[in-house]
Amino acid sequence: MKKKVVSLVLIASLSMGLVACGNNEKKDAVKNAGNSEEYDVIGDTVTYDPNKPVNGGKDIDTEFWYWTGASNLFESLVDQYTKYHPNVNIELVENPYDDYWTKLPLALQGTDGPAIFNMHNSQHDNLIDYMAPYDIPVDDIEAEFTGASGHVIDDKIYYTDYGLMTATVYYNTDMWKKAGLTKEDIPTTWDEFRKVAKKLTIRDGDGNLVQAGFSYNGGIQGDVLGMQYQYGQNLFTEDNQITLNNDAMKEVVNRLKEMYTVDGVCDYNFGNNSGDNFGQGTVAMFLGWGFMTNLLEENFPDTKFDCFEIPVPSDKTPYAYHRYNGESTFGINKNASKEQQAVAQDIVRFFLASDSIQKEFCLANSVFPAKTSLQTDSDLLAIPSIAVLADHIERYIWPGTMPSTVEDNVKIMLEDIFYNDKDITKALTDAENNINEDLKNSNFESQESKYKYADETIKD
Amino acid sequence: MHARKKKYRGGHNGGALKNIVVCSLVIFFSAFVVIPIIVVFIGSFHQWNPLKGEFSFLGLDNWKKVFGSDLFWLSMGNTVIFAAIATSFRVVLGLALSSALYSKLIKYKSLYRILYYLPTITPLVAVTFVWKFIFDPQIGLLDKLLQTNINWLFDSKYAMIAILILTIWKDFGYAVIIFLGGLYSLPRDCYEAAEVDGANSMQRFRWVTLPLLKPTVLFIVITSLISYFQTYIPVMVLTQGGPGTATYLSSYLIFDEAFTKYNFGYASALSFVLFVFIAIMTGISFKVSGSTQTE
Repeated sequence: MKKKVVSLVLIASLSMGLVACGNNEKKDAVKNAGNSEEYDVIGDTVTYDPNKPVNGGKDIDTEFWYWTGASNLFESLVDQYTKYHPNVNIELVENPYDDYWTKLPLALQGTDGPAIFNMHNSQHDNLIDYMAPYDIPVDDIEAEFTGASGHVIDDKIYYTDYGLMTATVYYNTDMWKKAGLTKEDIPTTWDEFRKVAKKLTIRDGDGNLVQAGFSYNGGIQGDVLGMQYQYGQNLFTEDNQITLNNDAMKEVVNRLKEMYTVDGVCDYNFGNNSGDNFGQGTVAMFLGWGFMTNLLEENFPDTKFDCFEIPVPSDKTPYAYHRYNGESTFGINKNASKEQQAVAQDIVRFFLASDSIQKEFCLANSVFPAKTSLQTDSDLLAIPSIAVLADHIERYIWPGTMPSTVEDNVKIMLEDIFYNDKDITKALTDAENNINEDLKNSNFESQESKYKYADETIKD
Repeated sequence: MHARKKKYRGGHNGGALKNIVVCSLVIFFSAFVVIPIIVVFIGSFHQWNPLKGEFSFLGLDNWKKVFGSDLFWLSMGNTVIFAAIATSFRVVLGLALSSALYSKLIKYKSLYRILYYLPTITPLVAVTFVWKFIFDPQIGLLDKLLQTNINWLFDSKYAMIAILILTIWKDFGYAVIIFLGGLYSLPRDCYEAAEVDGANSMQRFRWVTLPLLKPTVLFIVITSLISYFQTYIPVMVLTQGGPGTATYLSSYLIFDEAFTKYNFGYASALSFVLFVFIAIMTGISFKVSGSTQTE
């Protein structure tokens, strides 16, 4: 009995101690949030004052959703943010990429969805109705972020791009040297490119391909959608219909086909994924987007490569070199509580104002920084796929958040032309009709008219 | 003792248990079969995207689009051919191998049974990725074994054959096991009577085994047809319907419309057409089997 009494007393005193500790921690957190330490204001135009308490310094929990593959990046962001605001408890929720786009919109329909979430512009149509606009003046964002004007909806910005990427030519530097090529040989026109590709092509005594000079096997739809800009041809009409059956697109597709059938720089049976084949050392050049840099470094560390800008038809400056697509800033859930939305707005402001975090995100994703203050950063420009965009970033178009039907149907179109020998005009017409049929059910609005040099386009 | 027996068989507790079981099944089938079918049917008349909370009445537009779509008819044609070939191979291979295993001449029967059944229990997505490598024109095993240079997945002459090879390899083991079960359950006296009548082994197979196995064959044909009319994972992983639209199957088209384009209304109309088509095919199978049994 004595022992039991002693045990009970001990348990009670320990419990009291724990409760007391908990209370002390909370008090300390409030004190920290009340700024015992002075911090400098971050940023130039979009600014962030870490000394301003969040949620009045009171504890608050919030969820932040993102898709797999970048947990370190988001943990770093949260650590840096909560260093200033320890009263904010951010729960990071990681989802597989494919599930993310069905789970997220359904979660946002209720009141229990995440207050802040990672966004991708391809899902704009499904998510925009659940998003709250940033409480940062649009002019401030436009002043500091390239391409922000393309994201303005009714004088508000719901998300913009922090990083930009485009189609870039990746080339194997060892093969380049072996073929007797130097930096001087980097092609700027398609004619020069075709000559270089031929030099890089190796066949055995029987004429079988050993090394392809250039391959686009496995899908080039994302790259083809953008090449027509080089001829001054927009992708969309003023009434937001796609136009594929035109001279520019025929030129683009014919040239790609001739590289195989006339130049013989590759054939359609020489591998089914040009990116992987490049990493495996059977392809000397391929077209890839910025994210391929990290993939190649991770999956094929022995393959040495560099990048150059996509060639153009002639020495003249084209209407645009290509299109770009952006890595998006975060979305804010308009159905979250006011307090949680305020926290989400504060995190977004912190993210946009901080150059160091912007740089961290751009480096991790190998994307060209949308933030103008970082566009000459030497660390970022040391990445080949970022550097190629530096000279002509203003000559790249963002066509808007194209629905998936565009790439899907262009993929079918190109496979029909390249693999099934379908007549080019028929394939272009079919794809155009199918896409325009699907676009009738979409709210898609082309952003091509907002391009800086939009008045240089071909007028029908 | 008598009273206890009576209570167990027909008393209140037994009745309650039966009611619970029946109610559970009714609730289960209502929730996961009947209600979804009704929702899909209603959805087929709407512009429907649950992710946007969009559900607006369209009338017959989705249905008109279905029957006016070249891709729909192409995918239905592909589906019928695919299902017919895959089912035929499953039945013929299954029957041949199970008959061989049933024979007294074969040793290590358990080992063969395991080997044949192994593909069936492997996860479909994982094994399809393995086959993707096998079909690769550069590093693939198949071209090396056959001494060919075929681009199995990007040549429209071979892409559907590639999907069929994977499907038949994956599924024949199931038919072997089911047929083997059927063979072991056949009455011995029929064979003894046939032997007395002087029937050789081929005649016994043709006139005794096959007629007696008809219910098993019917079961495999119907379940195979239902399953193959709904095939989409091998297409999704291996070809994404390509090259062009050469390997579009109707279920892949439904998947593409619903989960890539979020066009759930149109996908619902497609699904309902497929549902009715499968129901008709199943009905025909039962009818054909019923009439031959009567004969």
